[in-house]
Amino acid sequence: MIKIENTQIGHQQLLISIDELKLPAGQLYALIGRNGSGKSTFLHSLIGQLPLRAGQLSLGNFSVQALHNDHLLRAKHVSFVQSMFAGVEALTLHAYVSLGRLPYLGAFGRMQDKDLSFVDEVLSRLNLTSLAHRATQNLSDGERQLASLARAIVQDTPYMILDEPASFLDYFNRELLLDQLQNWVQSNAKRTAIFSSHDIDLCLEKGIKLLVLHEQKLTLLENPSKKEVMDLL
Amino acid sequence: MKRTSFPVLLFMLALLIALSSMHLFGLQAQGISNRIVFWEFQIPRLLSAVLAGAGLSLSGLLMQNLFQNPMAGPYVLGINSGASLLISILILGAGPSVLNQLSYASAAMMGAFLAASFMFLVAKRVQNIQSLLVIGLMFASFTGAVESVLQSFAAPEQIKQLFIWNMGSLQQMSAAQAPLLAVFVLVGIVIALFLIKGLNAMVLGDAQARQLGVKVNFLKVSILFVTALLAGSITAYCGPIAFVGLAIPNLARAILRTQDHLVLILFSVLAGSCFLVAIDVLILLFDPWMSIPVNVLTAALGAPYVAYLMLRRR
Repeated sequence: MIKIENTQIGHQQLLISIDELKLPAGQLYALIGRNGSGKSTFLHSLIGQLPLRAGQLSLGNFSVQALHNDHLLRAKHVSFVQSMFAGVEALTLHAYVSLGRLPYLGAFGRMQDKDLSFVDEVLSRLNLTSLAHRATQNLSDGERQLASLARAIVQDTPYMILDEPASFLDYFNRELLLDQLQNWVQSNAKRTAIFSSHDIDLCLEKGIKLLVLHEQKLTLLENPSKKEVMDLL
Repeated sequence: MKRTSFPVLLFMLALLIALSSMHLFGLQAQGISNRIVFWEFQIPRLLSAVLAGAGLSLSGLLMQNLFQNPMAGPYVLGINSGASLLISILILGAGPSVLNQLSYASAAMMGAFLAASFMFLVAKRVQNIQSLLVIGLMFASFTGAVESVLQSFAAPEQIKQLFIWNMGSLQQMSAAQAPLLAVFVLVGIVIALFLIKGLNAMVLGDAQARQLGVKVNFLKVSILFVTALLAGSITAYCGPIAFVGLAIPNLARAILRTQDHLVLILFSVLAGSCFLVAIDVLILLFDPWMSIPVNVLTAALGAPYVAYLMLRRR
């Protein structure tokens, strides 16, 4: 469960103010909001990267402050997918996805057999097996974006936060991504995922709960109609 | 470790042994060998090639990771210049009589650490590598200027000593210095091996590495420390040697196609040693006719490769 109480979020100036919001676990939430409404800022606060201006925010048993202070704890508790991964010279897709196992590895960073088979399984779920040994810098933006999702799944955390994970994906891969995320949260009751998106139609079609950012407020809509969403925005 | 990496590493080890035998044998062929020459000259010279090659390419690999740029290296970023400046101050200020092996090395390491930290702080402000390289160049010119000023106060004997050191050479390390340098380089390699996990994550950048549980600040200070230990001690005993640190790690990534730093560290260490030993074998071969400075050969082989890398990156 994600709990937010009397929280103010923003860099220099206040962007979002939340009195009270509880997001039960085992669910997938889509964060919707207009450009510049503070979606990324909110997500960065959720992963403890941006300190809160005031209030309390906790993911399960840990406050974001505690997670910020203990990187290893955070790495095992919440994974984060950036909107853009530019690729790295000589880093294969397989090696990139494998980095998700890093928090669980020993000092020399060696992967065990169970780590490797987990990576292989996730790659095949996301139809990435044939690209496994391509260098990430030579992949398309969309392929890299799917790889980032794979990396986060492999990290095996109860919380997953994604910043516009579908911005470079084609229609079919956007469906694949949402299905995989729904699958991911449903396969374990402790899991929660929040992703930001502009794809309101697809989210409504899939019955995903919406978190709508508007006028510095965050509203949870379960099963809304498109008109309700549009009126809020 | 990828299965393909292991044979490559084994091959490099075999190559190093072969080149080292050639190195020892090459000197013997000139008929100057006896026990004393062997232990006092041949072994220290081979060791300085092996250790300097290993240490310089490892420090290059670490700097490329720290600066997140494949064009970084101890020489181009002025790390050698920092070491050089403090050594000059020591040679010219204190005179050779006060110098023992350790004060030499510790002055160079201090200079290397200060220069590396300075360049790292600069790198935080200027984001592109071109500006950074220019600043590295300016830094080198500046330390060169300070050295010149210092020289004008120095005795001819001191200037000569400094000039010879500044040429860079694998022949100036004494038998007494060899074990010291071996310890510094081995310690550097061992520490680097314990940083592998963080190094692997750092290729994704600071934020992602933190997200994967890496203590990024601790890692960066450790890298600066190891770089200073390696580049500083090698510069103290062999003088500034160019291009090894920049070229070899790039060669490692190009050949092995990996960012696994266990493989990259082992390959860089072996390939760096092979490179400098091979160069010294060449120097030995040409010795009867002319004496070639080591930097001439590292530059002749390394500079075109680095230029090729720059061009390929566009």
